[in-house]
Amino acid sequence: MADDLILDVQDVKKAYDGLEVLKGIGFGLRKGETKVLIGPSGSGKSTLLRCINHLTVPDAGRIYLNGDEVLDTNIDAMRARMGFVFQDFNLFSHLTVLDNVRICQIKVNGTEKAAATQRAHRELERVGLSDKADAYPAELSGGQQQRVSIARALAMDPDVLLFDEPTSALDPELTGEVVRVMQQLAAEGMTMVVVTHEMSFARQAADEIIFMEDGHIIEQGPPETMFTDSTHERTRAFLNVIAEHG
Amino acid sequence: MREFIEFGIEWLPELLMGVPVTLSLWVIAITLGFFLGLVLCWARVYGNLFFYWISTAYVELFRGTPMLVQMFFIYLGLPHLGIVFDAFTAAVIAITLNSAAYQAEYFRGSVLSVPKGQLVAARSCGMTQWQAIRYIMLPQALRRVIPQWSNEAIIELKFTSIAYTIGVVEITSIASDIGSRTLDFFMVFLWAGVIYLVLTSTVASLLGLLERRTYVPGVTNV
Amino acid sequence: MDIYDVLLRDFPFLLKGLGVAIVLLAALLVIGFVLGMGICLVQLYGPRSRLVQWPLVLYERIFRGVPIIIMLFIFFYGISGVWDISAFGAAVLAMGLRSAAYQSQIFRSAFQSVPAGQMMAARAMGMSKIMAIRHIVFPQAARHAIGPWTNEFSSEIKETSLAYVIGVVELTRQAHYIITSTQGNVLTVFAVVALLYFILNRTGNSLLYALERKLAVPGFEK
Repeated sequence: MADDLILDVQDVKKAYDGLEVLKGIGFGLRKGETKVLIGPSGSGKSTLLRCINHLTVPDAGRIYLNGDEVLDTNIDAMRARMGFVFQDFNLFSHLTVLDNVRICQIKVNGTEKAAATQRAHRELERVGLSDKADAYPAELSGGQQQRVSIARALAMDPDVLLFDEPTSALDPELTGEVVRVMQQLAAEGMTMVVVTHEMSFARQAADEIIFMEDGHIIEQGPPETMFTDSTHERTRAFLNVIAEHG
Repeated sequence: MREFIEFGIEWLPELLMGVPVTLSLWVIAITLGFFLGLVLCWARVYGNLFFYWISTAYVELFRGTPMLVQMFFIYLGLPHLGIVFDAFTAAVIAITLNSAAYQAEYFRGSVLSVPKGQLVAARSCGMTQWQAIRYIMLPQALRRVIPQWSNEAIIELKFTSIAYTIGVVEITSIASDIGSRTLDFFMVFLWAGVIYLVLTSTVASLLGLLERRTYVPGVTNV
Repeated sequence: MDIYDVLLRDFPFLLKGLGVAIVLLAALLVIGFVLGMGICLVQLYGPRSRLVQWPLVLYERIFRGVPIIIMLFIFFYGISGVWDISAFGAAVLAMGLRSAAYQSQIFRSAFQSVPAGQMMAARAMGMSKIMAIRHIVFPQAARHAIGPWTNEFSSEIKETSLAYVIGVVELTRQAHYIITSTQGNVLTVFAVVALLYFILNRTGNSLLYALERKLAVPGFEK
């Protein structure tokens, strides 16, 4: 294992009913790095992301977080150290914004209520929603909900943040506010893995882009190379389609 | 177990004589309840203030009090006003009135769940209000109401056993009678329970079939 | 004799009957709640083995498919054959077990109406399954359940009257006693009895509705 990897994914495989979705995927992530996973739908990006925190249990392969292997036996503790941002937010509907950001700090990490409250307010400020602390999720726009869910993940002080198509469920005019928050986090040195179709984000914020297709990593590299002179025909074809429609 | 089966062989034929009575009580009452329920629903959704008020009071009253009390009121109470029914008729009336109140509520819920645009579209292509209700609203509302209506129908099937208290000779009453002759109330009511279970399960499957037969994508859920 | 005198004289008996009905109601609802919640949790989160799930399905089918009158008789005569049980005890047991079959289904659909993403998000944040059920799924399911539970509460109030058939001296039987001893006031007595049930029903419904309002979360889907 490379010494300074925060997240180390080794040879992960996953099949559903005999259909191989991940055919042996590996990549690593250093502290402060942002990697963006791109690829056509069905290429296995989201499954890979979910395998990292065992929302989907991989059939084979190993995943290390800061040198500790992620196992079924320690999964709750490991998940507490990995923030996960869902496509459809999944804010807890019966809790206010403040409680959404507080509850796992208190119940999972055992943080004092006062400290958790303070931290929650800080993270809400970070995503620009300090005035919405008392609102309920249903009273917020999609973009605001997604920013709350980012704050909820940040409040756990995670080693790494995993984003699963965070803007796909949003109206086009609302994606900007979420992308800006993510760019700001990347700039602040947060360690992140992002599955997204937002090429502007990939271009500006990614340290490295991973292109996946059919359960394989086809190519990976810094955005400038990937976007301008990719050596792979598949990558170029995909980026062209995205450029035309996205 | 052997005792149970032997008891069944001896007494089941007599118990089964109650089945036609139970079923006719049920069929007559829920059918009348269906039409009365539609009228009540109409009064509550489309009626003027007077009809709305009458219908609402009716529904609240019958949903708020036990069927047993309603049946006693009709069978034991009304004769004091000179209105006398035989037991079977009194039971039919009680179950009808009670069921109509519930059916009306389910109809109302499903009528209100049909999008307003459906009626507007019907009127804008030249239908009268009555036509719009008859050809557009009702077919959708009735489809949507089937699951709740089925539940209600089965509840009323079980409620027919209350008619036993005023002396209608249906399954429960025959069971009680056999019980007092054999002094084995436990066995006979176990058998009565089996009969009711078969009846309610059969009705439930038939109504489930109806629901699947009338399925239209987007209007109802499977 | 003037009907008001009768009522004045007999009203305490009716209130006593009402008291019995309320205790019966409370007891059966508690049994139904605890057992129903247990059944629901095993069905949703317990082992998927048929050995565990099948008996629960069978239990629900039987208690939901057989009329409560039959169940009351089966429990009363069945238990008193081996063990000395009061009519009241048999009624609590029969109606409590039956209510469990209904409440488990209410809870089950309430839990199922909580989107799967809620559990997933809670687990992704590091909560254990039990913590996620306790802090995230249960509070939401409880809100979904209050409405249907209010309906169950209403039907059980009315069904306590059926304990009459095995001789529990609740409200309806008290009324019956009064009628047999004072001819001529049947209508009044049953009207008063109906009113008492109605008030009890309404009061309970208003309290539950107030609870629902108090727990309401803006925009939380019904």
